[in-house]
Amino acid sequence: MNTDTENYGCEVVCFTGDVGQGIKELEGLEEKAKASGACQLEVKDLKEEFVRDYIFPCLRAGAIYERKYLLGTSMARPVIAKNKFRDYGVIYSSNRLWWMLPKKLEPMSSLMDAQEQEMTRHVRFELRFFALDPKLNVVAPWWEWDIIGREDAIEYAKKHNVPVPVTKKSIYSRDGNLWHLSHEFWFVFFFTFTDPANEPKMDMYMLTVDPEDAPNEPEYLKIGIVSGLPVSINGMELSPASLLSELNQIGRRHGIGLVDMVENRLVGMKSRGVYETPGGTILFTTVQELESLTLDRETMQVKDSLTLKYAELVYAGRWFDPLWESLDAFMKNITKTTTGSVTLKLYKGSVTVTSRTSPFSLYRQDISSFESGEIYEQFAKMA
Amino acid sequence: MARPVIAKEVFFCFHVLLFFSIRRWLTLQMKSELMLLLTDARGKEMIRQVRFELTFFALNPKLNVVAPWREWDITGREDAIEYAKKHNVPVPVTKKSIYSRDGNLWHLSHEGDILEDPANEPKKDMYMLTVDPEDAPNQPEYVEIGIVSGLPVSVNGKELSPASLVSELNQIGGRNGIGRIDMVENRLVGMKSRGVYETPGGTILFTAAGELESLTLDRETIQTKDSLALKYAELVYAGRWFDPLRESLDAFMEKITETTTGSVTLKLYKGSISVTSRKSPYSLYRQDISSFESGDIYDQADAAGFIRLYGLPMRVRAMLEKGL
Repeated sequence: MNTDTENYGCEVVCFTGDVGQGIKELEGLEEKAKASGACQLEVKDLKEEFVRDYIFPCLRAGAIYERKYLLGTSMARPVIAKNKFRDYGVIYSSNRLWWMLPKKLEPMSSLMDAQEQEMTRHVRFELRFFALDPKLNVVAPWWEWDIIGREDAIEYAKKHNVPVPVTKKSIYSRDGNLWHLSHEFWFVFFFTFTDPANEPKMDMYMLTVDPEDAPNEPEYLKIGIVSGLPVSINGMELSPASLLSELNQIGRRHGIGLVDMVENRLVGMKSRGVYETPGGTILFTTVQELESLTLDRETMQVKDSLTLKYAELVYAGRWFDPLWESLDAFMKNITKTTTGSVTLKLYKGSVTVTSRTSPFSLYRQDISSFESGEIYEQFAKMA
Repeated sequence: MARPVIAKEVFFCFHVLLFFSIRRWLTLQMKSELMLLLTDARGKEMIRQVRFELTFFALNPKLNVVAPWREWDITGREDAIEYAKKHNVPVPVTKKSIYSRDGNLWHLSHEGDILEDPANEPKKDMYMLTVDPEDAPNQPEYVEIGIVSGLPVSVNGKELSPASLVSELNQIGGRNGIGRIDMVENRLVGMKSRGVYETPGGTILFTAAGELESLTLDRETIQTKDSLALKYAELVYAGRWFDPLRESLDAFMEKITETTTGSVTLKLYKGSISVTSRKSPYSLYRQDISSFESGDIYDQADAAGFIRLYGLPMRVRAMLEKGL
């Protein structure tokens, strides 16, 4: 039964973007799409575009939201929205449903994921569409139909014989892509996770090894950077998505990148989420460390200040906002000389820097040393 | 942070002495050795001088600063050591121990020797306050910090005075390898320098306070606070403690953290800190709103309207671009 044609009287095409959610998520998708009434399914591999055009700019800017969140979900939305729009300009009135698909790659999950408290997701997609076509009409069934919660959505799906991947038992709402895996708690019956007073259970983590079970020997890693963006690992050059993927593997086995935080959502409430960002955490540390060689004092101050705003805009889905674009132009320019390499030590959940080098380093041993130097005349300071 | 407290204290105790003596006694209070005046007043460590002198200027603008290192024929640490020996002044540092260290209750810093090349990893035996993470206990240690209006008051339920509290956390942090920072920083006087810092208790406290704020501060507030904190740190780094700008920023910080009261539990494990619990009677986090189920406070019908209004500038811009 085609719920969409039944309700909206138009054909529905299912689109999904592969942003690194994992093979399992993509399995059986076509059948599910058709079972929900779509006439066809298109899966597009967006991984390289995702990393190169969305992750890397944020990395270069050092954008972190509320001190800890590395913006994994926020960065994925624009790449999906952009690709969706590009290929399906004429069907967008129904697309609201399918826009939600890319997150979990299952038709029915659009209803479940369009829950209101997750409105940031809507905002991020829709702002993009507004920017591309102001006449777009957004249809979001969750807002119009008589569905007021995830439980209702599951019931609705069952009633219409739509396969539903999540059961009441699977109580975490997860969102994953090549950058991160997030865990939030959606089933209110179990208070344990939603209460920020409670420690997350280690069995909740899916990507990352518990630091206590990580290897007892540290692992050293050398990352090559050109103009603020990573290009190689241990001397081996890799494409953006492959590089990130490789660092995820390495980071995971050492328990790197587990973040537990209470964040302020765009729509006003606080929510508690746990994020696994293994490769990303390694990369952020790397790029920032190299900047300590290549950026002078005033520059670092201004960059750090602007990047707070940059992160807010990305978080709020304002990727193509001229303000964001201008800040990004600044970030791109200011990191032109951030080229070199950084060696890191990974050990039981922590990343420490052990070495940094750059041909554009502003650090000079002869000036910095406590011994004398001609360049730095102490008497000059008496003035 | 140590400079202002020392400078202020000296000023009030010794204002009748010649300034030269104050400078000396200043250093004496800090390290109890005369000769350190010469070694520590080295030109490139000017930031230290700046921090002390700015404080003196603020307290008495007629003060005249005399710093021998700047005037005498001493051009480096080696010369200073020679001079000291020639005048029979005991020198605690020998040519072998060539790290320059600076310690107080909050931290211990290391500079010099192989650290002067940022490509070099610090040697394991350089560290003094913290255990190497690889040698830290194999079991994590949990520590609960009680906070009132943004400031820590207790550790594991036991109330402690400020200094005792930091001291206690230094112990706990130290044995778990917490708080090692290796960085290349921009000094006030313009050059970059590489330093390694051990701040065990401080790192724990910063994490705890920041974590509690995620419960008690709303979105706009955190953004503004984080932005102002950058400036605050610059002023403190530059020795501008008694600057009205710093004082005003501090008034903001004190006010905005009034409700940051509660407790945070942290897990310390082999050099890393993770938060495991946060609680506050002033928490703005509400489980009923946050959950993905429906609730009375949060009306889903508001969503469509919010997005339309929030995205209005973008739509208008797009209309402009498309000539609509």
